[in-house]
Amino acid sequence: MNPVSTAVRGLFRSPPLLTFLLVALVWLVASLTLRGFGAYGHLRYLLELSAVIGIVAAGQTLVIIMGGIDLSVGAIITVTAILLPLISPAADPSGIVGIALALAIATGIGLLNGAGAAYLRVPPIIMTLAMATFLQGLLVMVAGGSAVSVTNASVIWLGQARPLGIPAGVILWIVVAISVLLILHRTPMGSRFLALGANPVAARLSGISITRNTLVLYALSGFFSGVAGILILGMNRQGYVGIGDPYLLTSIAAVVLGGTSILGGRGTYAGTIPGAILLVTTTALITIVNASPGWRSIMFGSLILALLLISGREARR
Amino acid sequence: MTTRSISSSGLYRAIQSRRNRGLGGLYIVVVAFLLLYVWLFPGIVSIGGFSKFTQNWFPLALVTMAQALLMLNGGITLSVGPLVSLGAVIAATSMGGFAGTWGGIAAVAAIGLGIGAITGIIVAHLRLPAIIVTLAGSFIITGIALLILPRPGGFIPGWFSDLLAGNTPVAFCLLLVAIAGWKLFMATPAGLGMYAAGENPVGAFRSGVSVERVKVAAFAISGLLAALAGLFVAAQTGSGDPLIGNPFTLNSIAAAVLGGVGFLGGKGTMRGAICGSLLLSVMINVMFFLGFPPVAQYVAQGLIIVGAVAIPELTAQRRKK
Repeated sequence: MNPVSTAVRGLFRSPPLLTFLLVALVWLVASLTLRGFGAYGHLRYLLELSAVIGIVAAGQTLVIIMGGIDLSVGAIITVTAILLPLISPAADPSGIVGIALALAIATGIGLLNGAGAAYLRVPPIIMTLAMATFLQGLLVMVAGGSAVSVTNASVIWLGQARPLGIPAGVILWIVVAISVLLILHRTPMGSRFLALGANPVAARLSGISITRNTLVLYALSGFFSGVAGILILGMNRQGYVGIGDPYLLTSIAAVVLGGTSILGGRGTYAGTIPGAILLVTTTALITIVNASPGWRSIMFGSLILALLLISGREARR
Repeated sequence: MTTRSISSSGLYRAIQSRRNRGLGGLYIVVVAFLLLYVWLFPGIVSIGGFSKFTQNWFPLALVTMAQALLMLNGGITLSVGPLVSLGAVIAATSMGGFAGTWGGIAAVAAIGLGIGAITGIIVAHLRLPAIIVTLAGSFIITGIALLILPRPGGFIPGWFSDLLAGNTPVAFCLLLVAIAGWKLFMATPAGLGMYAAGENPVGAFRSGVSVERVKVAAFAISGLLAALAGLFVAAQTGSGDPLIGNPFTLNSIAAAVLGGVGFLGGKGTMRGAICGSLLLSVMINVMFFLGFPPVAQYVAQGLIIVGAVAIPELTAQRRKK
């Protein structure tokens, strides 16, 4: 066994690294073959879009690692984006109060999801699905179906500002990524999440509270969806019903492309990061190829399948 | 062999009653909603009213069977909705053209079976998670439907629409046929193998079930049912629409879970799933007749789904204590 082949084999065993290399390869090839793809402005734009998916997928990664799933992230994003302009008090010119209130609501919704899953024993997939349906109805009642514009100064800064030439959203993503990675791999709480996902019974017998960790996880997922909702609102400057819908399936796809097992117990946010960039790049490439909506949809689905073959395979059990 | 001498029919009845036990609450809720519906809208007891009611229920019942079948086998599919759309689109484009009505039906059935089988092969033999394969598949299938028919249109022969969606309970009879087909299928080794492979893949494999082949078959049958639901929707609306099926994906999962089918395979029954789809369908109808705005329907639907799943769980927990 020579060292090179061992290294290559180790590489293929590490999905996060593999996904990172895939992104680098796609960016390199696309920059060399497509005019304008490699321009700094375009790559920065791709990263800005990835930041939104990456932040939503932060909560989703944690939930999936514990063996659950959150189908309400899209609805929570929409709730935050529509409620924030409505609840930002005019007396506060900085807009921080509005952001805090919106994040509190998003976290509260996540907490409700967790309570349903933990106390009522509703399977997470159905609890979060019902929550999404519920919120969808509630929102149309509150907002009346029209778009609301944002005047909150902090939100607009977040969506538009570029300190040192780096978009504020990307900086926010870096902060989120570092904290999630630290929580997951450097704290007892992260170990508990992984233990619960790998074997809930063994984890409970070792004294880990399923109830408390479920509550914390879904609250975190709600919080990160809320953060993403604020970022999207800042980038769009308008909130409307349905603004968060595209992020539900993309967040799950980013997690799985990053090598996290959909069955829980195995995975890392380090894979989700390149997963999100890969998804956005794929969508951008498909938009460049001037095709009909039908072909675009077929290409997107086939590419996800192809990428899955490389990084998302379940080990034989 | 003493177990066999106990008489297999007694064992059969004992197992059946155990499988019905958890569904008691669901049956009561379904009957209550049906009575409410009859009270609100007495027209349902006529043949025409009954036909219309079952026609609204039929496609949901078919996709719920398609979903429950896979969930019992330990899988899940997120491409039910797009498959319904594809079935409708193929029916609407082929029936008026070269294929004729029967050719159109055959085309829908063949494509449903084919796409289901391909999905199953990818999931079983390439060992990819079903949820994400069918998610990617839903994009591909939607794309194909959009290529065939970019905007709603096409043609369904008038007599065919009248036959399926007229004032006769043909849809209900077809549903009975589908249920009978499921009963027959469960009496075969393949049907039992499907259940067994969902409950305990290793145990099923050691008992001689070809787990991978059974999984491919489950996906193929599921695809067939979803595409046929699309055929019915096309007959009902008289045209094809490449996006008409989208709500069916989540509704099929909700109906199956309402009916007590679990996500981990082997847990639940098909009769429960069909009852779940009936409950969902009646619920939507009742709220419509009560004049709920569509928005309030969403809110109520969310609450009822959580309630219907949580209450049996909580009572079971209390009984255990």
